[in-house]
Amino acid sequence: MYYIDLAVTGISIGCMYAVMSVGLTLVYGLLRILHVAHAAVFALGAYVTVLVADASGSIALGFLASIAVTPLFGMAIYRLLYEPLLKYRPDVPMIASVGLLVLMQDAFRIVFGEQGVTFHRNAFSFTTFNFAGITVSAIQIAIVVTAVVVFTGLHLFTTRTRIGVGWRATVSKPQIAASFGVDPIKVRYLNFAIGSALAAVAGGQVALLNNLVDPTIGFVVSYKALAIIVLGGLGSVRGTLVASLVLGLVESYGTIFVGAWLDRDAIAFLALILLLMIRPQGFTGAGTA
Amino acid sequence: MLKTRLAASAPSANFLLSFASAIALCAATLMPAHADIKIGFQVPLTGPAATDGKSAQLAGQMAVEDINAAGGVLGQKLELVTYDDQAKSDQAIFTANKLIGEDGVKLVINASYSASGRAAAPVFQKAGVVMISAYGVHPDITKAGDYMFRLVHLGPPQGVATALYIGKTLGLKKVSTITMDNDYGQATMDGFLAAAGKYGIEVLNKYSYSLKDRQFGSIVASVKRDNPDAVYATGYFFTGGPLVSQLRAAGITVPIIGSQAFDSEKFIEIAGPAAEGTYIIDSFDRDRKDDTLQRFFTGFKNRAGYAPEGVAAITYSAVKLMADGIKRANSTDPAKVRDALAATKDFPLLEGNLNGFNSLHEIIMPISVNEIKDGKFKPAGQITDLNAFAPPEK
Repeated sequence: MYYIDLAVTGISIGCMYAVMSVGLTLVYGLLRILHVAHAAVFALGAYVTVLVADASGSIALGFLASIAVTPLFGMAIYRLLYEPLLKYRPDVPMIASVGLLVLMQDAFRIVFGEQGVTFHRNAFSFTTFNFAGITVSAIQIAIVVTAVVVFTGLHLFTTRTRIGVGWRATVSKPQIAASFGVDPIKVRYLNFAIGSALAAVAGGQVALLNNLVDPTIGFVVSYKALAIIVLGGLGSVRGTLVASLVLGLVESYGTIFVGAWLDRDAIAFLALILLLMIRPQGFTGAGTA
Repeated sequence: MLKTRLAASAPSANFLLSFASAIALCAATLMPAHADIKIGFQVPLTGPAATDGKSAQLAGQMAVEDINAAGGVLGQKLELVTYDDQAKSDQAIFTANKLIGEDGVKLVINASYSASGRAAAPVFQKAGVVMISAYGVHPDITKAGDYMFRLVHLGPPQGVATALYIGKTLGLKKVSTITMDNDYGQATMDGFLAAAGKYGIEVLNKYSYSLKDRQFGSIVASVKRDNPDAVYATGYFFTGGPLVSQLRAAGITVPIIGSQAFDSEKFIEIAGPAAEGTYIIDSFDRDRKDDTLQRFFTGFKNRAGYAPEGVAAITYSAVKLMADGIKRANSTDPAKVRDALAATKDFPLLEGNLNGFNSLHEIIMPISVNEIKDGKFKPAGQITDLNAFAPPEK
């Protein structure tokens, strides 16, 4: 039972990582930019969820608000930060992105306070279910369901809808897609909007889990997301999902079995280094999903 | 052209100068004849420790206002010379040198984390400046020399007192421990582990986490498997809050015992109903019938918008103790203040009565325990066996 409990923890955290980092993967696939500031979008999502939920008394409304606000923020990052810098080497927009993350972290500190914000009512975090001796919390279920919906939805969207196919075409063959009348700029906005909304959902779920959103919330996920997309083979959505789950599980077991010598983040990076030594192309090879 | 312009402006410069000196003269006659007593004040106002720093700054300011409103010390007003040390060693040394060299300060309150206090201590010691570390817990701070004082219990004695409280007072024998893997978390846990056997405690399993962690799924699952009588965790309120709420969410109902830095209203806010039944060791008794404490409590809450934590209370007390030291020394000479502080006997801190300092200038005083009941800190006894958790001597 115990090992299954650990697996439940690992899978739920892995699903959260996956939903959070898919936006990063999409941006990398499209623009070849390491969108580090994606973590700031995640943090903004967490803050908006908590603040709106507290003001309105409805956690659902909090999530809706953050899904509404963060795509605008994500698209603004593209328009104001990346677009003017796209003509330079890819490390230039990346450095700008790191700068934005640091700036946002301090902005959160100044605007929302040092101490962080918490849900006034968070019944969610204390609701648990018992399946044959295995404890699963409502949040864990919500996180896993979200990931399933998101990844199935993304799959259907990119294979069954016109916009989705155009999007995928733009990622793999931008010139040809453009000659078929797909507007690459619109695809970019779509990309940032969807990725940001997903990060916001992940942020809101972490807020529920911790019942605390403090200014550092984005920082930890920022480098973890980088590890994940590298593990996943840069730009591959399927790889991101696999890498996220692997990382979640490695962390979950690792915290207990090697946690006395290595902390959780160190475990994640050790796994990253080992994997890159064995499979430099990441889990899913060089291709894009 | 340039010359004429200079010449033309000369009379007005003269005028300004005389005007300024006239103002200075007026000011001088209005103010008391003697200079204020300057106290150096190092607090982390930016960076990750800024939460505590802001509280400490306000508390220090309130202490100075209270002292001055009551007529100051030796007929002079107190004044804080404040520097932001960012809770970093390099900034602590830089601002320590500024305080000594530029401000000519002889008495200092270091209201910051160990990284700062530990770095600043040798600098002040060498310059013969008295430093009170309000809440820095690293052992090296007082080891820097005889001008150093500390107003909190060291980590290891806190841990020993925790073992006494869990094993003897609560009578709980099987314990899982969760350590925050920084200096403070580890030193405190080391004290606990060393003394656990003495109080009949069996440590079932030991877990650790980093300061950045807020998700404790695997530790929670493991504690559940351990099925302990109690859980002892070291950490801060921002790690302890999520930890306690996740332990409770998983159905772990046994008492959770938290270390001193859990002590914040924010802890209760984060953990919500899960906070019930959490004990905090070396917490401070907020309901104590004491005018100064209650006045501080309401005053702080009005100005900060939140209730003061342990860090605020101890910083307030540190400034008060420094003023008392000056008064008893009847001088601001640092050597005399040092001797007066070392001879402190029964000084009322906001947290309770300070019996005095030992040879290493570590505090000797009982440790208070709070339990969280109905969403409030409630006193849950004092650990008074001072010999059991005596701090190290020189």
